[in-house]
Amino acid sequence: MRFTKAAATAAVLTVAVAGCGGNDKKDASAGGKDPAKIVVWQMGDGSPEQTKFLDGVKAEFQQKHPKTDVQVQYIPWPQATQKFQTAIAGGSGPDVTEVGNTDVQSWIEQGAFADISDKLKGWAEGKDLNKGALANDQADGKTYAAPWYGGVRAVWYHKDWFQALGIQPPTSWAGLVEAAKKIQDKKNVPGIAAPSDWTNGILSFVWAGGGDVAVKQGGKWTGTLAQPQAKEAVQFYAGLVTKDKVAPDKYVGKNELQGPQQDFALGKVGMYMDGSWALPQLEKINGKDAKNWGVFPIPGKDGGLAPVFSGGSDLAVWKDSKYKDVAFDYLTVLDSKKNAQAFASTLKFLPQFTDVLQSATYKNDPIMGPFAQAAASGVRFTPTSKGWADYEGAKKVLPNAVKAVMQGKSPDDELRKADEQAGSLLNQ
Amino acid sequence: MLDTAQPVRRTPGRDTTRPARRRRRPRSGPYLLILPALVVIGVLLIWPVVQIGRMSFEKVGVRQLRGEPAENVGLANYRQILGDGFFWTTFRHTVLFAVVAVAATLLVGTLVGLLINRLGTKMSAFVAGGVLVAWATPPITAAIIFSWLFGTTGGLVNWFLDALPDALVGSGWANYNWFGTPLPTYTVLTICVVWMSFPFVAVSVLAGLRTVPRELYEAARVDGSSAWQSFWGITFPLLRPIFGVLLVLSVIWDFRVFTQLFVMSGLANRDAFNLSLYGYSEAFGSLNARYGLGSAIAVVLTLIVLLVTAMYARMVIRQEGTS
Repeated sequence: MRFTKAAATAAVLTVAVAGCGGNDKKDASAGGKDPAKIVVWQMGDGSPEQTKFLDGVKAEFQQKHPKTDVQVQYIPWPQATQKFQTAIAGGSGPDVTEVGNTDVQSWIEQGAFADISDKLKGWAEGKDLNKGALANDQADGKTYAAPWYGGVRAVWYHKDWFQALGIQPPTSWAGLVEAAKKIQDKKNVPGIAAPSDWTNGILSFVWAGGGDVAVKQGGKWTGTLAQPQAKEAVQFYAGLVTKDKVAPDKYVGKNELQGPQQDFALGKVGMYMDGSWALPQLEKINGKDAKNWGVFPIPGKDGGLAPVFSGGSDLAVWKDSKYKDVAFDYLTVLDSKKNAQAFASTLKFLPQFTDVLQSATYKNDPIMGPFAQAAASGVRFTPTSKGWADYEGAKKVLPNAVKAVMQGKSPDDELRKADEQAGSLLNQ
Repeated sequence: MLDTAQPVRRTPGRDTTRPARRRRRPRSGPYLLILPALVVIGVLLIWPVVQIGRMSFEKVGVRQLRGEPAENVGLANYRQILGDGFFWTTFRHTVLFAVVAVAATLLVGTLVGLLINRLGTKMSAFVAGGVLVAWATPPITAAIIFSWLFGTTGGLVNWFLDALPDALVGSGWANYNWFGTPLPTYTVLTICVVWMSFPFVAVSVLAGLRTVPRELYEAARVDGSSAWQSFWGITFPLLRPIFGVLLVLSVIWDFRVFTQLFVMSGLANRDAFNLSLYGYSEAFGSLNARYGLGSAIAVVLTLIVLLVTAMYARMVIRQEGTS
């Protein structure tokens, strides 16, 4: 008996709480006075640097809102999706949140974020935000998030090996293969790592060849991987394994962290492609070799730089937040040029302000320099369709197609199938 | 509790009062006692199953979890998965894997059980203890350890195979990619799953063996029966019910293997998917959750397991009827 009573009580309570949540939402934005606290979600495990940085941001924020406490909650990246889904479902979200920039469009579509278009107009520094990055946060002409930090991928190489073998950092695809061959012959290790589970990196090659993964025409997405430019790029990338044989097949079906990163740090592969954010991890694996590592931007097909995808984080105000104005104030402090640059630097990422990227700070940095150069020269984004999350995450269409080509399947068939999936997934 | 303990301590003089009191007890007593267990099972097991069944006929995403009414799509989810050629690939993987893994688990488990039974007290305790460690290892831990063992840089298996003479195992093992194609992936998966599940079989068989009277074996030995004949003539028939239960449990466990495969090859290797991974990738793989479709796959998987179990149950009942 007691059981049923307890269960009933619990049920009633749940309903009551859910009901309250619903009511609160409506009252919320009306009374815009300083709340006792706001909740901020940050991704990651809360490293000491991050905690210290956020303490500073809080102090700065409290100069304007002295009565408001800032409660930071850390969410490990792998749990982010679930946490967001639960929060949307249960109405228990934060006021401000960090969000992976590849996920922004999906969350906008699912109604997680508040429209901050008007608030953005009143933010002076916001005008210098990287336009390409900001476009990724917009839907139907409205802005739902602000870019915070981002990073691009480039090619990591062993400077000492290049010197000893007389190789210059390559500036074309042919040069890349040549350099890899030379390393492979002389150093007896694979020349370059070409993992197949690497959508955002493989895209650089597709873009550099003049192709794209999909285009939107008349409001409808069409997959374009089977078209000659994209196909040539995929064939080149897969050919590193099959045709040129400068990349080993042990990375087929894997991502850049499942082997390539570790092998590069340990000197078991000549070159590997990853972001600037890899440096702390590389140092952790084999710090004593760090002085010999260098970076060059992913080369274009016949010269120049390949356009790069900018991976990183954006900041958004949660739609259910009761204190949207205060939350946005916090966002602008967290994303001020000074703070964004400081935080990006601790993570080995780049801030998202065009003028900051072109400043001398980055030009003169041997590691961050080539990354900033690549970022400033051309950042591209993946299709701004909520279906991209399926294309990239659940179905991993490009990785599976590239893997099949690497294992000898016909590129025409595989890319045509990929385009069919693009057609159905991106237009939902 | 009190009722069952009392008869032992009761005094002869009070004997007359007890039966009368017993008769007056309401019959609902036993049901009240199992009620907590029923509630827990109902909430944790039956209710989710009912939900999954319902959701498999609906289009459910995050917005629906938030309270928007879910659209009933009838059999569309089922039509979509059954009409997808890829579903049948994952189905084939699931069934083939289960057949191989169940057979290997039962075989290894039985052999180890027989071995422990033969060993002396200390040694058998040592082996049984060691074997149980494998059983106690969480799947995620085992999966990570096995993907390290079979990994390329620093992987023990590749190092060992490479160190063996080339004439024996061929060359080029140092960089062999175990997770590039389905067959090697499933080979590693089978080893990992069998490693984790044979201890349960071994211990259960051992428990059964301890109940078999030694005289039977002695008599068999006197009659000149070999170990092989003794096993099929004595052990197997006597332990048949135990093997039956172990078979059903193994089938259920191996049909729904997920963690190990997810860790080892993951979503980037669709060519090696099994049904669980397929369901997961549809339901939770991206931010645009499709719980309806995932539920439908889960229902199909459940039905397959139920079917296998039912077939077995029928077999048992028939056998008992004839004997």
